[in-house]
Amino acid sequence: MEFYRRSPAQFDGGIGSSRRLAGGLAFCTLFAVIVLSAPSLAQSSPAAGLEDGIPITDPAVIAKCGSCHARDARGNMQRISWARTTPEGWQNVVKRMVLVNGVSLSAPEARQIVRYLSGSHGLAPEEAKPVMYGAERRIHEETNIPDNNLRTACAQCHAFALPLSWRRSPDDWKQFVDSHAVRHMFPPSAEAVAFLAKAAPLHTPEWEAWSARTSLPNLAGRWLVTASMPGRGKYYGEMQVDRAGDDEFATRVNLTSVTDGSKVLRTGRTAVYGGYAWRGRSNGAGPVSSAPDDLSSEAREVVWIAPDHLRAEGRWFWGQYQELGFNVQLQRASSDPTVMIVDRPSLKAGSRGNRVRVIGYNFPAGVTPPDLDFGPGVMVRGIVSSTSVEIVADVDIAVDAPLGKRGLALRGSLLPGAVAIYDRVDYVKLTPESAVAAFADAKHPKGYLQFEAIGYQRGADGRLHTADDVDLGPVDVTWSFQVFHAHEGSSADYVGRISASGFFTPAVENPNLNYDCWAIATATSDKDQNGAPLVGKAYVVVTVPTYIFNGRRYVRELDRWVDDGPA
Amino acid sequence: MEKKMKNALLTFLTASAGFLLMPFLAEAHHGWTEFDLNHVATYEGTVADFHYTNPHCVVEFDVRDEKGQVQKWQGEFSNPSHLSRKGWTAATLQPGDKIAIAGNPAKNHGPALHVTWIRLPNGQEFQIEGGR
Repeated sequence: MEFYRRSPAQFDGGIGSSRRLAGGLAFCTLFAVIVLSAPSLAQSSPAAGLEDGIPITDPAVIAKCGSCHARDARGNMQRISWARTTPEGWQNVVKRMVLVNGVSLSAPEARQIVRYLSGSHGLAPEEAKPVMYGAERRIHEETNIPDNNLRTACAQCHAFALPLSWRRSPDDWKQFVDSHAVRHMFPPSAEAVAFLAKAAPLHTPEWEAWSARTSLPNLAGRWLVTASMPGRGKYYGEMQVDRAGDDEFATRVNLTSVTDGSKVLRTGRTAVYGGYAWRGRSNGAGPVSSAPDDLSSEAREVVWIAPDHLRAEGRWFWGQYQELGFNVQLQRASSDPTVMIVDRPSLKAGSRGNRVRVIGYNFPAGVTPPDLDFGPGVMVRGIVSSTSVEIVADVDIAVDAPLGKRGLALRGSLLPGAVAIYDRVDYVKLTPESAVAAFADAKHPKGYLQFEAIGYQRGADGRLHTADDVDLGPVDVTWSFQVFHAHEGSSADYVGRISASGFFTPAVENPNLNYDCWAIATATSDKDQNGAPLVGKAYVVVTVPTYIFNGRRYVRELDRWVDDGPA
Repeated sequence: MEKKMKNALLTFLTASAGFLLMPFLAEAHHGWTEFDLNHVATYEGTVADFHYTNPHCVVEFDVRDEKGQVQKWQGEFSNPSHLSRKGWTAATLQPGDKIAIAGNPAKNHGPALHVTWIRLPNGQEFQIEGGR
């Protein structure tokens, strides 16, 4: 059952179905394959004598990888046994082996290899959590790059999360960094090796503990879901999960918008790798419109399941650049009352008669004001209505109520950080604070951006933009878009337009230029201390699409094409 | 059949390859060609806002001209990674802070600077070599 084999002619640029397929694949590969430098041919691993490897026992891995990655008497296979990574990491190694080294695999074989390695040579949940933003395709400001050496070696072409999603022995890190330096033409970096060997070692207490107790979680059953989509607000609902194979599950989720009550129904299928890594796909029930942010769009699902298997969180996303989607949190439904969400993220000190909807599950009958506990300074004046899934209450906030986030308790159920009490909106911050949008061309769709304007109150330190600032939730704003250094009032329509809900659509035409721009949100009611409307800005670069040519990607910072290998 | 299977494998292999795509962030992406690097102008002003963002940190500041009119200026630095090595954070510049700032003026004579030096309200001075 030979499936995919590349001849030398194809590697030299022969035109054939393999190349077309590989060309399509290359777009999805981008920086990934650059970094995941599993060897062209397995080289002897100097780590073998220095650090215990992790033996390989899977027949498919042994059969398909063993001709290059020799297996020793202890079951260690060269290179492979001295590395651990995420499902995406192993998936891309397999891809590279197929595309570059001509490994012949069927889809089931590839799936089995990734499944096995993600479990036996994966990351512990605690190791994966800090780099989940990579798999979840979130815009994330990486502030953890120690110096320029690391930036050059590990973060100039791709996210720093990429190397940090691997664990290797010191010698394997050296081999990896050295080969990476040769391939991508940067100076070998002993600092990078030292940093990675220390920050991402092969053997860790987290992995030793997790690998000893890893098991396939039984996710079947009902889960409570809270979700948010930038620009659309919060959603809540339930997900039914049913077993659909050894490590696969079918999902069906019903969501309701807190904002307008609209419904979203999605069905999907997911695999679980390594006992916690949910990787799935889902589709909306209705037909998908041409709107890029249609909530019925096919979405990829990347979810981190907590080690106790009672909670999970992640992102369901779509778009040319995975720029659209839901942030989701799941918790297992139980027979206990559960507070899921409060419709108002913040309440002003000194305000009276605030109508608040508390949404949840299994709420008891006969709820009275004392049952709802918002903490000191918040008085529940009355219960307007109450069902098993929703309580509507009127609340007053004392002038001297303590400021900041607080939980809401209801007969044993606690929702931490349910609402924030504030006295003033001090500034408006946009999410994302900086991002790239892309013009379209004949082959590449546009890259969109959805902005959201969030109000913040300074924290106890009295300074803005510090860790103790309090997120007050979305504020009402009007949106505008401005090109850097443009004359005031001049139109930015040639770059793109931003909608009343903060959705930026680049201009159709591709001018083959970069534009540095501001997305600007002007608050409609919140003002600064001088009485002027609060303004929040996001730095936007509107640029050309991410071009891929024959498997190579142009990296602007390096002013050259980065070779991912033959495509 | 073969094509179908190829598609099946590629579908599987690309299923979550997006993880490896760089998060869609703006990193340092252009030179400073829109600024006159042969000249330096110095101003005193009041911080209106500070954006500690990629691809460039930006300070918006107000400068009062000789007629007493407030002009809104924009000073562009390198990225947070570089400034953080000088000890900067998103809170280093606060609205209302009085600063002195020097930099290369925009070639189009617009109210923008490529920042080369700044003095903070506490008297601390920073050379921002090459915008860094």
